[in-house]
Amino acid sequence: MRLLKLIMFPVLLLMLVIFICGCKSKYRDLDLTMYQYRDTKDLVKFVYDASLILKKEGMTSLSYFQNNRTLFHTPDYYLYIYDMKGTNVYHAGMEHLEGKNLWNVTDKSGKKILQLVLDALEDSNNPHAWVHYSWWEPGNFYPVPKSSCHFKVTTPEGKELFVGGGINYPHEEQEFIRIIVDDAAHLIEYKGGQALADIANPVSQYNYRDVSVFAFRPDGEMLISPAINSTFSQTNLLECADEVGHKPFAKALKELESADAVWEVFMAKNRYQRRLIKKCLYIRKTTMAGKEIYVAAITDLPEPPY
Amino acid sequence: MATKAKSYEYSVNQVPPAGHLLVSSLQHVLLMVISLVLPILFASQINGTAEFAATLIAFSMLAAGLGSIIQSVGLPFIGSGYLCPNVCGPSYFSLSLSAAWAGGLPLMRGMIIIAGLVEMAIAPIIQKLKKIFPTFIVGLVVAMVGVSIISQSITSFFGLAFRDDAIQSIDIFVGMFSLMVMVLANVWGKGFIKMYCLLIGILSGWILALILIPEYWHNLAAAQDFPIFALPAIGPEFRGITFDFKMIIPFVVIAISGSLKSFGNLLAAQKISEPELQEPNFVPIRKGLLADGFSTALAGLLGGMAVDTSSSNIGLAGATKVLSRWISVGAGVIFVILAFFPKFITMLSMMPKPVMGASIIFAGSFMICTGLAEMFSEAWDPRKTFVVGISLFFGLSTAFLPSLYARAPHFIQTFFTDPLPTTTIIAVVLNQVFNLDIVLGNLKKKK
Repeated sequence: MRLLKLIMFPVLLLMLVIFICGCKSKYRDLDLTMYQYRDTKDLVKFVYDASLILKKEGMTSLSYFQNNRTLFHTPDYYLYIYDMKGTNVYHAGMEHLEGKNLWNVTDKSGKKILQLVLDALEDSNNPHAWVHYSWWEPGNFYPVPKSSCHFKVTTPEGKELFVGGGINYPHEEQEFIRIIVDDAAHLIEYKGGQALADIANPVSQYNYRDVSVFAFRPDGEMLISPAINSTFSQTNLLECADEVGHKPFAKALKELESADAVWEVFMAKNRYQRRLIKKCLYIRKTTMAGKEIYVAAITDLPEPPY
Repeated sequence: MATKAKSYEYSVNQVPPAGHLLVSSLQHVLLMVISLVLPILFASQINGTAEFAATLIAFSMLAAGLGSIIQSVGLPFIGSGYLCPNVCGPSYFSLSLSAAWAGGLPLMRGMIIIAGLVEMAIAPIIQKLKKIFPTFIVGLVVAMVGVSIISQSITSFFGLAFRDDAIQSIDIFVGMFSLMVMVLANVWGKGFIKMYCLLIGILSGWILALILIPEYWHNLAAAQDFPIFALPAIGPEFRGITFDFKMIIPFVVIAISGSLKSFGNLLAAQKISEPELQEPNFVPIRKGLLADGFSTALAGLLGGMAVDTSSSNIGLAGATKVLSRWISVGAGVIFVILAFFPKFITMLSMMPKPVMGASIIFAGSFMICTGLAEMFSEAWDPRKTFVVGISLFFGLSTAFLPSLYARAPHFIQTFFTDPLPTTTIIAVVLNQVFNLDIVLGNLKKKK
């Protein structure tokens, strides 16, 4: 009996392993490895699931979405569907928006949200079409920061739509700044010096919440300042040090001798609690008028849970 | 001897049969592996490559493994001779990161060596402190060893990898299941079941997590990228050792704090291993602190993260009544061997967080209750009430209100870092102050 138990345990374990290996995940085509937070991964999966339904069932699935609004509306995010001209087809959280065209709707800072979404959907560097803006919650009187992801869907009827969902009070993912910095670097490569004004524009995709893309020359001279929209600051970025004396720009530029882009961690004061926290800097090399320059942005790093 | 046999399955100096020794050592290794999250996090925070992370983990494991052996094998001048393995020390984490940013890994190594030497220098002083550690303060310190791992255990239990991230009900279910298996196996089980309650709880929780939460199954896939056997690749980051005078004070402070924590751990290990002792025997504790400091310095020399004695493993030993120091030696040997098998280490470090949390709660519960029982084992008076009460107020506040201390005057920040060292320091000082009348009275009588 004891021998039988000893044999049965590994056999059952092996069967379990085979069973789990044999299960096909519906997310096998969805790469989420670039995200650190579960909240972000959950949102992408939530929107992706809905996009699969719409892709398979087409326009008939809209009645399913409309009859099951609670399934697509959580305290942190909700689902919405638009056509490519900005007309809302379905909104799990704000039913009254259905049928309205929101093409020219802007957030509190003036960002044209729908237009940014369509740009993001065309951007191969932004695989889940992230857009960052502020929105509101019905009944509340203050803006809510949001980061939304989107999937473009062509229904069996041949209609082009996009499905999206935005998380309220989002975490700052490193992937978010990778996307905007890489995009900014490509824009500079393509448009040259003219791109700098577009990148510095506060209502562009390159600026959201506390994040802004900036640019500088190899000698540390700033083209777009990370701290202030003015040229009176004569700070040389290469000389800048963090709260523990570390010079992140100088170190990053050394690493950029053998790489196109680098991440650098540094310590800064927390905005609210004034204690030291870890932040990260992402820098990418690009060229402007044949000369090498650097494009960068700064974001928070996830903090350990305790 | 017959009566003693009832209080433990294997006594501190007993050598268990080979099978039990191996499985018990593995059980302790599973708890030690939890601390490997620190070098993994460290590598990600300084943007180290996968190769860098693997080497840092390997060196940290070598230091922790060798430290565990030295601590427990019973050498003449060093090591407590208790079951008290070493793991990567969380108290050094933030400061090591600051050193690595300011001067790279060479500076981190240099400063860890200094911290280790400071711990070694403190060790002989501990023996002189016999009078300032009466039984009730020893009990308080042991209880605080358990209290100090509450944050780590609960955040893991809820499956949190990062602050403020999503919590899923399924994680809580897995954690609760794992914890219940451990506890019920310990309470109702006999023989093997009782002895290996943690191992059984971890395995059953892990299997349940793999069935219910695909994320953990996907995480395991990361092990595919690692070779089965590999020697640590000593990249340019691991060459050289430097020092920075500006960082000496913070590292000395953290070394003192680390010594106090290890002091608490060693007291707990002694209490569990030698319950018949009427008052602490400071000789093994001094030797244990010396070994702890040596292991920390060794970690710096090797290029790993600073190591510390493990509260959870002592709690496990107490809960299972398997106290043989040879298990700590076995766990150390396995840790050293595993350092060269990255694939296995990656798989082990992918243990679901709720299962990790359940393991630490299981071990920590024992530490808290052992300490409290010790504390209240002697007659109580108002002096003790205020010594314990006030020190707990301020000690626990470091965990409840960390942001408050971030803005406090610098000298307060230095000492109010963590519940264990803060409570210990305040309790020792207040005990002397509140007993000043007795001391003066005794002096008068002598005159």
